[in-house]
Amino acid sequence: MENAFTIAAYVVAGILFILSLGGLSGQESAKRAVWYGIVGMAIAVVATLVGPGSGLGVVSIILIALGAAVGYQLATKVEMTQMPELVAIMHSLVGLAAVFVGFNADIMINYIGNMYDAEGLVMGAVQADGITAIGLPKELYDGLSSFGQLIAKKSSVEIGILRVELVLGIWIGAVTFTGSVIAYAKLAGRDSKLPVEIDTSAKQLPGGHMLNAAAAGLSIIFAIMYLGGSGSWTLILLTLLALFIGYHLIMGIGGADMPVVVSMLNSYSGWAAAAIGFSLGNDLLIVVGALVGSSGAILSYIMCKAMNRSFVSVILGGFGGASGGEQMAVEGEQVAIDAEGVAAALEEADSIVIIPGYGMAVAQAQQNVAELTRRLRAKGKTVRFAIHPVAGRLPGHMNVLLAEAKVPYDIVLEMDEINDDFPDTDVAIVIGSNDIVNPAAQDDPNSPIAGMPVLECWKAKQVFVSKRGQGTGYSGIENPLFFKENTRMFYGDAKASLDTLLGKIT
Amino acid sequence: MKIGTPKEVFGGENRVAMTPDSARQLQKLGYDCLIESGAGARAGFSDALYEDAGVTVVKTAAALWKEADIVAKVRQPEPAELKRLREGQTLISFFNPAANEEGMEAAKAKGANVIAMEMVPRISRAQKMDALSSMANIAGYRAVIEAGNNFGRFFTGQVTAAGKVPPAKVLVVGAGVAGLAAIGTSTSLGAITYAFDVRPEVAEQVESMGAEFVFLDFEEEQQDGAATGGYASVSSPEFAAAQLAKFRELAPEMDIVITTALIPNREAPELWTKDMVESMKPGSVIVDLAAEKGGNCKLTVKDEKIVTDNGVTIIGYTDFPSRMAAQASTLYATNIRHMMTDLTPKVKNEETGEETQEFFHNMEDDVIRGATVTYKNEITFPPPPPKVQAIAAKPKEKVPELTPEEKRAQEAAAFKAQTKSQVTLLAVGAALVLGVGLIPGMPASFMQHFIVFVLSVFIGFQVIWNVAHSLHTPLMAVTNAISSIIILGALIQIGSSSLLITLLAALGIFMASVNIFGGFLVTRRMLAMFQKS
Repeated sequence: MENAFTIAAYVVAGILFILSLGGLSGQESAKRAVWYGIVGMAIAVVATLVGPGSGLGVVSIILIALGAAVGYQLATKVEMTQMPELVAIMHSLVGLAAVFVGFNADIMINYIGNMYDAEGLVMGAVQADGITAIGLPKELYDGLSSFGQLIAKKSSVEIGILRVELVLGIWIGAVTFTGSVIAYAKLAGRDSKLPVEIDTSAKQLPGGHMLNAAAAGLSIIFAIMYLGGSGSWTLILLTLLALFIGYHLIMGIGGADMPVVVSMLNSYSGWAAAAIGFSLGNDLLIVVGALVGSSGAILSYIMCKAMNRSFVSVILGGFGGASGGEQMAVEGEQVAIDAEGVAAALEEADSIVIIPGYGMAVAQAQQNVAELTRRLRAKGKTVRFAIHPVAGRLPGHMNVLLAEAKVPYDIVLEMDEINDDFPDTDVAIVIGSNDIVNPAAQDDPNSPIAGMPVLECWKAKQVFVSKRGQGTGYSGIENPLFFKENTRMFYGDAKASLDTLLGKIT
Repeated sequence: MKIGTPKEVFGGENRVAMTPDSARQLQKLGYDCLIESGAGARAGFSDALYEDAGVTVVKTAAALWKEADIVAKVRQPEPAELKRLREGQTLISFFNPAANEEGMEAAKAKGANVIAMEMVPRISRAQKMDALSSMANIAGYRAVIEAGNNFGRFFTGQVTAAGKVPPAKVLVVGAGVAGLAAIGTSTSLGAITYAFDVRPEVAEQVESMGAEFVFLDFEEEQQDGAATGGYASVSSPEFAAAQLAKFRELAPEMDIVITTALIPNREAPELWTKDMVESMKPGSVIVDLAAEKGGNCKLTVKDEKIVTDNGVTIIGYTDFPSRMAAQASTLYATNIRHMMTDLTPKVKNEETGEETQEFFHNMEDDVIRGATVTYKNEITFPPPPPKVQAIAAKPKEKVPELTPEEKRAQEAAAFKAQTKSQVTLLAVGAALVLGVGLIPGMPASFMQHFIVFVLSVFIGFQVIWNVAHSLHTPLMAVTNAISSIIILGALIQIGSSSLLITLLAALGIFMASVNIFGGFLVTRRMLAMFQKS
């Protein structure tokens, strides 16, 4: 039974969660904020355990302890470069949990329905006032679990709404589950622990979005049938369809768009929790679900804006057919340079801006970058980092990697903060980024990324690009930066290149 | 292969295309060097010096032209010299191809390959053979010296026991290579130097030389100088008018004016008009480096020094480099030597691995192709545009400064627009919420939860916008952890009497718990790493 204490505890937990998110506005307050979150969660779980969830409490505690052990392992073992994968796979757990809880609700409704039938009563029948349900006889009612009691006292309208909510919860949860698993596989690439290998590029089954649309249409039909009382089999089919949509939708999105996908899935897992909260009548679930849902939605929006693309075009996959004309042909040649040349230029430079990208994460080069930064700063040079909002595979990915390598966060700047400073910069070093420094976004209206805000590093006096080879990279777009007069290509694996460079700079 | 240099036949030309030093370098490339007797005499290089450097001195021009496979000279060849060309011979020289149709026809008829030094493209790689620049550099320097020679005062200001001497004021028009050299010389002599150019992007270079750049109060989209190969292009009539007005204003103050404004293949623009000359002080000097192309001042007489009625000296010499023959020859010979280096590429033999160096007129090479005007009985002028183009940084589009009123108006408009969009959003939101509430039979219990939901979304939007960009990854990890609040649902359900429910709920609890601990721990790990410097 939800007693007053539980609800009071939920209020406290809810406030703590809000503070926990709000605290992330600054690096220092964030350290406090995460504790708010932890305490909030502890209060919520304990309050539930002693209150409405007291049934089989011991089992619950054991399960939580088991989960804690696994979670601890995951969290301590993970490399910071694998953070996107970890977040993605964790979303899948929330999605799956939401599906299970949703199904439980359905089973419980059927169970209670059967009890009503056995008593010769109609579930959801209302008393003379037209609102309050008649309910089960007292002794049967008391024999139910708290969740059973909750359903048993609902009127037919309330049960109808309950079903809408659980359909929503299950559907979103299932999409989140398969979507996250696929996102994980795409992010992890060859390191994926999944038994099947999944192509990181955008792949769709024949039929493409028609297939998704058909699956979504069928889901709606099954949902209506379920609400009309066609039984649980419709719910199962609906779940299968949602699982397929999650799989197929994310399969169709290229690896470069994963930051948006991950934050979108984050949002979905929140909405699923909120929907389940409605069906369970649990306000805390609703509050937290809504917080998470809106957080993910805002992140997706920020990411899309940083790529100058509409959310829809990202979700529908691939770089859209918006470009009408020919892309500008790139003229000139890529001029290579060796470590000595870079070292000499760095010795002479006063202000240096480093632009890291996913390539740095892949090569695990952040430690070397940090060491280079320390040495250059020791010589009295200004070294700063320019972070594009979509650098990496997760929002804020680069910041975390640089922080791991002990780069002070006050020299790590956002695009808007640093873009105007490039003309006064002596040397810009691009490490494993490509599209986010592509001048075609500004110069070439026919480029697939035209209009996307980019870091204007080519305005620096000299640009060095650390890159594995001459290829076009993840998105397959040619980058005129590499052909500019003031650009020199520093070929090789980012980590190895920086190692040799560090040998030249003492 | 033999490379030979004849004596220049053009009257008053003192330069020579080969010096003993350059001959030594050419021999290293594997060439035999020939020189006509007395060719270097006027530049200060005697035949004996050449012989010491291993150069064969040939008595007559005829013999030299006959013997040499490659002829390097300075001036555009005279008709008599063109007649001496023969099939397969290579001539490297200034050639003025744009106005030398007959010369090219003659060379074509003879089957000689002609490389015109003025056609060397202006790209970084070719700078070492850019003879125009090296000659312009000398001309700029000499122009100042020549002006000083005809100017009755010091360049630098002095305060002496015998009185105060004001510094000379020098205006350099056109900040190309010659202009910059003139600026450098003039400032190092101590004069107050002003400089003007139609390309505003050179202002920085001018200022770096210590001169003051004269800006016009004129807004015009200037063609990117780099698009025309680094040369100035023709400006609009309005711009020209603004420019003349500025000069007219400066003219009475200036003691020395050096004009260097040339536009490729055109008559020199008139920049220093008669009335400006008349407004100048007596004793002032004008050096017109554009005299060859008609002069920037219309009073200029080519190759002569004149004094106007109001006592202004106008120098129209066109042979400044020749007046400094030793220096000019050294630089020009080096340019020629670099050209020869490019014409003699190292070739690696695939089988033996030996490197050989041989003369090879490579028409695929941008620089060589650009400079070649006749090749194998064909006229190859004008050349196609080079593949590599120097692109200068685009001028930043200037955002017009807003007046305070405009700013205020803009802010007010923005505020209005914001209010409008916010009110619209609120209205739509309120309508939606009310609409949900008005659905017939909507139970109040649902509405209570609904209110909680709407408010939470609202709070979420308010809070998340403030999250720092750099903390987006921790934000995702934290939201991921707290979205495991779904565990509450599973906890409530696990105590059910149905085994299936218990099982599913147990799985749910386990997974959510993984997420809670994993999510929070990983967030803590990340946040602990963020450090201040």
